[in-house]
Amino acid sequence: MNLKKYKHAITAVCVLGSLAVAGIAGKDFYDFRHYEEVIIPGEGVTSTFQLSDYNENLKGTFGDTTVYVMEGEKEGGSFLVLGGTHPNEPSGHMAAITMIESGKVEAGTVYVIPRTDNSAFTHNDAQEASPHFFHIETESGTREFVFGSRASNPIDQWPDPDVYTHQSGQTLSGSEMRNINRTYPGVKDGTLTEQISYAITNMITTLDIDMEMDLHEASPEYPTVNATVAHERAMDMASMGILELQMAGVDMSLEPSPVTLRGLTHRELGDHTNTLALLMETGNPSQGRLHGATSEELIIDGKDKFYEKAAELGYLYIPYDENGASLDMRIGRHLQGCVEYMKAFSDMYGAEKGEIIMTGIPSYEDLTSGGKTIGDYLN
Amino acid sequence: MVMTLIYRAIALLMFVFVAYDMYKEDAPSLKVNACMVLVPLLLRILMIK
Repeated sequence: MNLKKYKHAITAVCVLGSLAVAGIAGKDFYDFRHYEEVIIPGEGVTSTFQLSDYNENLKGTFGDTTVYVMEGEKEGGSFLVLGGTHPNEPSGHMAAITMIESGKVEAGTVYVIPRTDNSAFTHNDAQEASPHFFHIETESGTREFVFGSRASNPIDQWPDPDVYTHQSGQTLSGSEMRNINRTYPGVKDGTLTEQISYAITNMITTLDIDMEMDLHEASPEYPTVNATVAHERAMDMASMGILELQMAGVDMSLEPSPVTLRGLTHRELGDHTNTLALLMETGNPSQGRLHGATSEELIIDGKDKFYEKAAELGYLYIPYDENGASLDMRIGRHLQGCVEYMKAFSDMYGAEKGEIIMTGIPSYEDLTSGGKTIGDYLN
Repeated sequence: MVMTLIYRAIALLMFVFVAYDMYKEDAPSLKVNACMVLVPLLLRILMIK
């Protein structure tokens, strides 16, 4: 059959097909980028401001984000919680949201940023086939939350260099330039990611925030997991917190912040501000390399037969069996950790700086054996 | 910012070349092939993905 005489017709069909595919895919990408995640602040939130107040270059960009302020009736120390540094690590994001929606500060001031790298919430990691959203049942109905990417959206910051040279001179692979936890202390007029980290550093300095916690997750096969990483100035306080966590049934190791690994919160915020810099990691099966399909069920239940097998073979750094590692359990670890470090801060520095006390958020026990789910604490 | 504009200009140039090649190509399979390449280029030029 001679198709040459249909050449123009075939071209037209191909062009229409391309436009249709581009239209469908483009709408999906566009909608996800502009999706507005709903966070319903509880009565514990006393005010909010925008991160761009601490770097005007962020105004009107996808890097700007809301900071929730929870001020206690009693004066005391101050604490910054960073959730959503990496939006593909949902327990940090959800722990921060739970604080905003159900927490109440009795003493001191707690600042919560649930979407630290807001740009990274506007896309997924390429070639991971990750869902855009996961859903949680609450009293007010089904709530939808974003499962984003580890790094800022390339639309906001492109192209990546072959090699990313941190301001300290450290070199990393080019894509790490969009990983906010490699760009601290940040650059005021640098890349978008550097501008965000600069704003956070500047905010901590300006508000003289006493303690900072960056909430993360890691692959179960990664050694630094179920761990707290502490800057050397925060080590004593973190040691006290670890003991309390062990008493509460949360197995947690304590790692010193490596002096030569630059750009991370626990290193740079500790070096460039007066804050006591901490970072916590839980084990997230949807993030590692050994799991099956990246589904919403995997994100929430954390059950995966391949990880079960890997655990049997001794390849994992977290306890793992057929019960998986649920999102509720991982959020419980983060929240219990924050509470214990607030207590440790109050014990060590309470006389000098005042206590930090937050109530109303679930404990690790509540979210594991207590019969509660995270949905019970969301509005 | 300037780098991004240069990058988009390169993507546009690639888009034009591939579109021209698709138009000139006789084999339907190669036309479809070119169309598949055009989709990500178009989304990139428009800064949607």
